Amino acid sequence: MRVIRRRGHARIRLESVESGLLETLLDDLEGALRTLPDEDPVRQRLFPAAYRDDDTAAAEYRSLTEESLREDRAVRLGECRAELPSGAGEVDLDDGAAQRWLTVLTDLRLAIGTRLDVAEDDDPAIDPADPDAQLRAIYQWLTALQDSLVHVVMRG
Amino acid sequence: MPGTLSPPQKTAGKTLPAEDVETSVAPDQPWITIVWNDPINLMSYVTHVFMTVFGYAKPKAEKLMLDVHHRGRAVVSSGTRERMELDVNTLHGYGLWATLQRQD
Repeated sequence: MRVIRRRGHARIRLESVESGLLETLLDDLEGALRTLPDEDPVRQRLFPAAYRDDDTAAAEYRSLTEESLREDRAVRLGECRAELPSGAGEVDLDDGAAQRWLTVLTDLRLAIGTRLDVAEDDDPAIDPADPDAQLRAIYQWLTALQDSLVHVVMRG
Repeated sequence: MPGTLSPPQKTAGKTLPAEDVETSVAPDQPWITIVWNDPINLMSYVTHVFMTVFGYAKPKAEKLMLDVHHRGRAVVSSGTRERMELDVNTLHGYGLWATLQRQD
């Protein structure tokens, strides 16, 4: 994976295995958005309470906002999925598309990071005996991709 | 009851007609939007979101991001309750952990 800027566009260059991985992850997230129960930590993190100390206001706010927020997320990830190359290749992004990718990568990292219960002081070295070793490696790869893309976008 | 998510009325700077003044209630108490620290969102991304959503220059966006990171939270905007609900909704769309409350 490499992110570069060329002619005003951000370009994400993906290996074949990386394109396939992103496709799977986006499909998984799409399913999770539709099926996760209210109390699931991933859902709680993607749709946090807007009021900390007022459950009534938080519930009413949620009833007014959550469905459209969910639809926005589903549309964005569907658009990103449609831009993925089949096999190795590049994703070419203007500013709006790059912003959308940043947001979708955030959603993926929030979902996986919450599932892994990551902490800020986590040891970046992955223990191969950890049953979540593969998911942690995927999370770190998504982090590297997002960090590269945000820096390319901010440089303008 | 939370306010609706309709955009704020564009009355700023205009003189209201007399009948509106008579029936208007006291202006809203100031409300604030708070962004809370989380272990997942990248510092670079949070700075980028503050610049994009609020139009803050990079130094201000970075200072707010560092406040979130080191102090656990930062007030990122203030105004009417309706406006703050919009800001929170926007920030949730970007994946930030945001809440609103009445200013202390």
